[in-house]
Amino acid sequence: MRIFLFSLLLAAVPLAAQEAKPSPPIRFEEISEKAGARLMHHTRVFHGKGADVLGMFTSGGASVAVGDFDGDGDDDLFVTDSDAGKPCHLLRNEFHPTGKLTFTDVTREAGVDGGNDPKSIVADAVWLDADNDGRRDLLVARFGTPILYRNLGNGKFKDVSKEAGLTKFGNTIAAIAFDYDNDGRLDLLLGNYFPPVNLIDLPTPHVLPNNLDDAVNGGGVTLWHNVTAPGSGKIRFVEVTEKAGLAGHTGWTLDLGHGDLNNDGWQDIYLADDYGTDRLYLNNGDGTFRDATKQALGGLDTKKGMNVDIADYDRDGWLDVYVTNITDEYMKECNMLWHNNGDGTFTDLSKETGTCNTLWGWAAKFGDFDNDGWEDLFAVDGLRSASKENYIPVLLEMIITPNIDFTDVNNWPAIGKMSWSGYQRKKLFRNLGTQAFKEMAAEAGIDNDLDGRGIALADFDDDGHLDIYQTNANQNSLLYHNVSASAGHWIELKLIGTKSNRDAIGARATLKAGGGVMIREVNGGNGYAGQSTARLHFGLGKAAAIDSLEIRWPSGRIEKVTVPIDKVTTIKEGAGVVK
Amino acid sequence: MKRLRTLLLLALCAAPALHAAAFDDAMKAVAAHNDAAALPLFEKALNEDPDSLPFSNEYRRAVIRTKEYDRAIDFYGKLTAAHPQAPFAWLNYGYTYVDKIPDAGSITQVILANNALTNFSKSIELKKSWIALYTRGNSYLYWPKIFGRAPLGVADLEAAVAMAKAEVKKRKVYVRAWIALGDGYWKTEQAEKAKATWREGLQLFPGDPQLQARLARDGEELEKYIYDQLDPNKRVDTNLAPLWEE
Repeated sequence: MRIFLFSLLLAAVPLAAQEAKPSPPIRFEEISEKAGARLMHHTRVFHGKGADVLGMFTSGGASVAVGDFDGDGDDDLFVTDSDAGKPCHLLRNEFHPTGKLTFTDVTREAGVDGGNDPKSIVADAVWLDADNDGRRDLLVARFGTPILYRNLGNGKFKDVSKEAGLTKFGNTIAAIAFDYDNDGRLDLLLGNYFPPVNLIDLPTPHVLPNNLDDAVNGGGVTLWHNVTAPGSGKIRFVEVTEKAGLAGHTGWTLDLGHGDLNNDGWQDIYLADDYGTDRLYLNNGDGTFRDATKQALGGLDTKKGMNVDIADYDRDGWLDVYVTNITDEYMKECNMLWHNNGDGTFTDLSKETGTCNTLWGWAAKFGDFDNDGWEDLFAVDGLRSASKENYIPVLLEMIITPNIDFTDVNNWPAIGKMSWSGYQRKKLFRNLGTQAFKEMAAEAGIDNDLDGRGIALADFDDDGHLDIYQTNANQNSLLYHNVSASAGHWIELKLIGTKSNRDAIGARATLKAGGGVMIREVNGGNGYAGQSTARLHFGLGKAAAIDSLEIRWPSGRIEKVTVPIDKVTTIKEGAGVVK
Repeated sequence: MKRLRTLLLLALCAAPALHAAAFDDAMKAVAAHNDAAALPLFEKALNEDPDSLPFSNEYRRAVIRTKEYDRAIDFYGKLTAAHPQAPFAWLNYGYTYVDKIPDAGSITQVILANNALTNFSKSIELKKSWIALYTRGNSYLYWPKIFGRAPLGVADLEAAVAMAKAEVKKRKVYVRAWIALGDGYWKTEQAEKAKATWREGLQLFPGDPQLQARLARDGEELEKYIYDQLDPNKRVDTNLAPLWEE
């Protein structure tokens, strides 16, 4: 009897709790281990003088790229590692055909494990169909020369970097693939952090920023034009940085984002730079860009730009830009949510919208996690979680030393086992649709305190909900399965270019439903250390049907299509819905 | 008390110097909205009277409007080198760094704040004035907790409050010391002392809105209010005119 009563009591507790606290609108479950997707990242260990400082400055490298490499209809994962000899990982999603969300490590057979050789460090990766053969190739960006793996279509890849002309050294930390000249081939923009010296074999100790708020001695960017001859099977790039008007940028580029910011049909770019001076370049449509930073953003910032993601968060038909910076115990920078005013100018509304503070920010991505029709925002943070001893006061002594040369590795104090802005809780901002966001990471079960770096969003199991893969420096990665109760219907679009690049990167879908308008663009790796799915995901909120859906392809072609709701639909340029 | 009187006397005695030709010309240029022309004239006046608080005050206000902070920093560097015994030149040298802070990046802000403190300390070494003690004490409070500077601020501000208490006439400007000392106690986790200090201030300066605002808040609301007041990205009021305008 007693046991029975006790059982009743136990059963009543969760019921009472449920009644008292309604289920949150967004909810995730962490399933990386169960799904076979948990991977440990290792930052590069340096040796010799300045090793400790260089290790601290290169504590990135934990990145993830989502792409369907085997063409089976589900999104796979490429996850990078960074220490010498450590392999990167290609995880094949087994959802098609098993119906189970599990991953198999197929790195070795695919031949994409390399990159962390003694003098190179893997830092980022991006999927792109560089030769428009219908198979996504893989670019691995490094502190070193990049590696381009051509997808052979039989589960194997071939390193074609040299033939492709990608032999220039750079300390590349970010890479995006997009078609800047709309010629139907995907180009590459590489963001370089340090100036182009090999950090593992230092020719000089003067390799660090010359100013901690306005540095101009970084690696800038390099733009690679894809000149692959159609059908040749030989991928080829040529560098056009100077020709395109980007050579003057010498900041410490940490992330890159592209999107059509002025609705003229050409892809523009935003560069997030650490130690100051983000840049916005508008595409002139003739193979060149113009620096519009001062006019568009009102001047040059001094913040630590860490991430760029681009989306129309307020559904006004203009793409906005979200940049994470550092808001911490001593740097009170606040992030920047650049609201696109539609007249060539942007206004930072991060404070007004409640998206200002993501501590020591890294990746942040827009996504409609509850399908209510409004794009939410997930952001990871945290630099280094170690002992209780804090590095900041030690660092301060160096910073305030009169006439100190910040560029000299030897002037920076060793960090040893100290923590620096570590153990920080992640932030999930739910878009309330009223120019305001509500932070609810804890409620959503996603407020881990790991040293986050990259994020990739994808619907890995075709259930209409965006899942999240999170990489962490020197720690295990996480896979958050979205188990939210849907606030509405949804659609997902796989776009295939024909005249346009086959990945349809840069294509824009405009959806009208329930009296509102939503736009999405396919992007080629926006956001720090993470490439999300190439599918376009729309939550429909209260709308029960779609009024209209229009695709604007990078070629300029505009197509109206009709698609079913709650389904993944494939649309081919010129042919409409094909699946 | 004697020191405080000396300070005020100094400030007030600076008035005749207001008639210095260069300063008059500078003020005419300011009135004509020509700050660029005013700056060299102010500098000329300060070279003639390096310790003049009104000269420095008007000069720095023009510097803030023109954002010519580096020029002013360079000028005060030379002025204090030429007149190392001028306490208020050092004080204004420090203020020039403070004036630049809201227009600087987050790490440069730390460097500027530290440089300001160095110059405030030099001023105090030469003359333990109320304004210098209050200024340095208040500056310490802007530093994040992790750097442990708030107790140093409390020490300076206790001295500033003691000096103000000893003065017969309670000039309105002194209320700033009570406000800041309370903030210092609060930042060093002495909430009751903070409130007692603000209450004492309100008795001496009835109706002061800043003290009332603090006393009307509690807990997280008070924390947010104080951190908002001590936000380094907001311009600190370094206008010294209330010292002699009352």
